[in-house]
Amino acid sequence: MSIDRRLMTILAVAASMLTPAASLAVSALGGTLAAPETFASMTDPAERSAAYFTELGKILTNPRCTNCHPASDRPRQGDAARPHQPPVFRGPDGFGLASMRCSNCHRGANFEPAGVPGNPAWHLAPAEMAWEGKTPSEICAQIKDPVRNGGRSLGDLVHHIGDDTLVGWAWHPGGSRTPAPGTQQAAKALLQAWIETGAACPN
Amino acid sequence: MPGISLTINGRAYGPIEVRENLTMNDFLREELGMTGTKFGCGAAQCLSCAVIVDHADGTSSTMPTCIVAATEFDKLKIRTVEGHARNGELTPLQNSFIAHFAFQCGYCTPGFLNEAQVLLERLEKSPIPRAELESTIAEALDGHLCRCSGYVKYHQAVRDVVLADAHRFLT
Repeated sequence: MSIDRRLMTILAVAASMLTPAASLAVSALGGTLAAPETFASMTDPAERSAAYFTELGKILTNPRCTNCHPASDRPRQGDAARPHQPPVFRGPDGFGLASMRCSNCHRGANFEPAGVPGNPAWHLAPAEMAWEGKTPSEICAQIKDPVRNGGRSLGDLVHHIGDDTLVGWAWHPGGSRTPAPGTQQAAKALLQAWIETGAACPN
Repeated sequence: MPGISLTINGRAYGPIEVRENLTMNDFLREELGMTGTKFGCGAAQCLSCAVIVDHADGTSSTMPTCIVAATEFDKLKIRTVEGHARNGELTPLQNSFIAHFAFQCGYCTPGFLNEAQVLLERLEKSPIPRAELESTIAEALDGHLCRCSGYVKYHQAVRDVVLADAHRFLT
């Protein structure tokens, strides 16, 4: 760890202690997710499809997702999407560096006395699947591209977002973390509806 | 309350009932009286609380104890700072730490010692070229905080142990 990083660590910890309002200010991140039927009045399938994805964008741009789909090799944490403390990095397999694996702290389930979230598969998305800072339109193009979606088909995406337990953690994060909007099943329904209407992307 | 059984420094413990919200650090320090493992930041930032976990596949790694439940260590084999010396004989690594005066207050030393021990055992199994040694040590010790800023001395102490027995650790 460089001197600069150590200094950053100390300052970040101090700042997190001194500014609890920062995390409170962004606590209204949850909310609802519209069901596919909500868009039934849209007769143009492409327009409706894009609308489905725009609605999905509430999830895909949410810190519950982007914290582990970060723009850099370092994850973020919390509703405020602060840089992860301690400083940890993706590593070659997405499960951290050899000297600090994700599973060192993130175990099979949340450990609330220490405020540490957990899931047996806790890890970062690959770098090419970074969503942080991107618009729903950009994520839409990315998520359809097998080179940038982990080699998944559209059907695989339904399974990943709709059934994966690590993804599902986003709706049941525990502690003081704000859940992702809606439910995992609602997200799955929207994704299926998006695919069935041609998987169009919003502008 | 759940019960845990584990091996610490070669000695079997348990089954011992623990609260589900008990951290491993409190289990070691408060329940077993093994205070060599320190409680520093309480957020896995400094790693003074790190212990060695010996995995079933023969590899070892360090793991923080301050934010991890004691129940997560059920059935594991771990080593703490108390387990390094044998019959009062310090290890080469411990002696090197002393020779380099690598610590001042010593609070971070158990974490550094455990991490460096894991590194030595890894190098013994998978030796590396001399040219990679400096970066390998730096990477291994990365993440451990020393408030007395003994980083260079820790690094030198580990390097000396490797170089003193180069045929074991280097290609």
